[in-house]
Amino acid sequence: MAALIRATNISKVYHKTAVPVHAINNLSVDIAEGEFTAIVGPSGCGKTTLLNILGGLDYPTSGTVTINGIDISGMKDSELIDFRLHNIGFVFQAYNLIPVLTALENVEFIMLLQKRSRKERLARARELLEEMNIADKADHRPGQLSGGQQQRVAVARALASNPRFILADEPTANLDSVSTENLLDLMARINREQNATFIFSTHDQRVMDKARRLIRLVDGAIVSDEVRS
Amino acid sequence: MLAILAWRNVWRHRGRSAVVIGAMVVGIWSLTFGGAFMNSFLLSYIQTAIRHEVSNGQIHHPEFTQDFDIKFTIDKPQRIVSFLKENENVVAVARRRVVNGMIASTRQATGVKIVGVEPNEEARVTELDSLVAEGAYFEGISRNPVLLGKRLSEKLKVNVRSKVVLTFQDIDGNITAGSFRVAGILDASSTVIDEGSAFVVREDLNRLLGIEDGVHEIAYTTAPGTEDDLLAAEIQAAFPGEMVRSWRELAPLLLFMEQWMGAVLQVLILIIMLALAFGIINTMLMAVLERVREVGVMIALGTRRSRVFLMIMIETLLLSTVGGPFGLLAGYATISWLGSRGIDLSDYSEGLKSIGYESVLYPQLFLSDYLTIVAGVLITAFLASLYPAWKAIRMQPVEAIRGV
Repeated sequence: MAALIRATNISKVYHKTAVPVHAINNLSVDIAEGEFTAIVGPSGCGKTTLLNILGGLDYPTSGTVTINGIDISGMKDSELIDFRLHNIGFVFQAYNLIPVLTALENVEFIMLLQKRSRKERLARARELLEEMNIADKADHRPGQLSGGQQQRVAVARALASNPRFILADEPTANLDSVSTENLLDLMARINREQNATFIFSTHDQRVMDKARRLIRLVDGAIVSDEVRS
Repeated sequence: MLAILAWRNVWRHRGRSAVVIGAMVVGIWSLTFGGAFMNSFLLSYIQTAIRHEVSNGQIHHPEFTQDFDIKFTIDKPQRIVSFLKENENVVAVARRRVVNGMIASTRQATGVKIVGVEPNEEARVTELDSLVAEGAYFEGISRNPVLLGKRLSEKLKVNVRSKVVLTFQDIDGNITAGSFRVAGILDASSTVIDEGSAFVVREDLNRLLGIEDGVHEIAYTTAPGTEDDLLAAEIQAAFPGEMVRSWRELAPLLLFMEQWMGAVLQVLILIIMLALAFGIINTMLMAVLERVREVGVMIALGTRRSRVFLMIMIETLLLSTVGGPFGLLAGYATISWLGSRGIDLSDYSEGLKSIGYESVLYPQLFLSDYLTIVAGVLITAFLASLYPAWKAIRMQPVEAIRGV
């Protein structure tokens, strides 16, 4: 299967301290469309850095990243912002919804940036909240929702832009076990039914158990890449 | 949605926003009232000077203003007077004979401008009769009455009914003198009237000058709202051989003060808005810095930096201007109330009069002043929004998301 995401010999070195920190070391990886992949490893192994580089949030110090054949590692900041808007969905550990917008508006927001019509935005946002089983919370602001509900809104927001893939950085870290289970089931169903590509970084064994591919990192390098049936 | 987002962000910290909005309301109120109070001072000075001294306009022989030679009289003054009286904007007209000379009492002598007036006409134009503090307006003295300003009378050490001698050149260039008796002493805020003028009856002056008639100066007052410069131009066009000037040309100091009113307001705006701008910047910087992660996430999701910049700008503009209408309304109400009743400063009337002001001041703000204040607020809000907005767009999404 052709790679949706291809990282070739990427390295990331931070020079913020006297001694340079090599977060990613000459790493190469391909991720195909429809994968449900977890990037795992101990703290500081480079999971989030890798996710950020694959998501166009950060530049590799060397190497290239192509998404659907387009090299994003040389893009300007403004080009990357537009690219992310149309190609990548994000789910963050701390949900990171916009607190002054309702659940519906949070989902609508990204479609507004894509300049989609109000009618289309509203229909899609309602459909996604329905799919996430939180349609009844559409008019609630994030502060009025539980962690699990907020994260479901975040997933709806990530899906709203019709991205090529969704990056989820430790999405279950702040959730209780029931919410975690529900969220994982939801994302697994979307992956199955819509062939949506999910890439997680996680410590959570429950996420690892659900993943169909497990990439293990140690010191910024892949030490194992396990594909499950 | 950017505007909705900005508006909701403004009310995120109600207390903090309320302090800034309250400061803007008080700032704008103090600007409108302060501006109106300053205007009342300056307008009082200008109106006093126009009413008692220069009038709304004057007409002279073109060369008379150069050297005050008595031969430069206005050609056929009656036709100008008739023309003026037919003009609906002209309220009153006064003819004057003006010569420079000396005034002497038994104790002192000094240079003085001798103004020969028609008492009735003069009372209507300059309200000279209203300034009489002692004695009477050209009455009570059977021959050669004279009115002197209070300071001049003190300088000469004369009182009502005292005798003074006026000396000047007659029409043939000979020095001539006349004995006058003080009919009244004027209490005027104008130093020209108070110290430098002696008012006599024109007929008496003509007799001493050795001429039957002749007018050096025609002064006129106009109805409120008259465009004095336009009227002067109209009269000038009708009588091209004479020199017609409005009060703005006659008294450049008054023109300067009129322009100064606008400048004072602008300086006030600058000072108050500068202080408020720092408050706004401080509040917005706090708002931006505590939303590092949120702004970072917005950029990560695909919000262009220009949109983030715009959002913070709208937020700052809303925060800065939402109080504007309340401040303007409060200012307008205060000015309207005090403008109709006046601010009574009679406790300081002596001091005020000595520098040319009335003791009751009427705050007044013009539409252009309100517009200047609105423009000042908008410019301040715009400038104050730039730094917080710039700070917001410099955030890197990776650091913003990780950093908090």
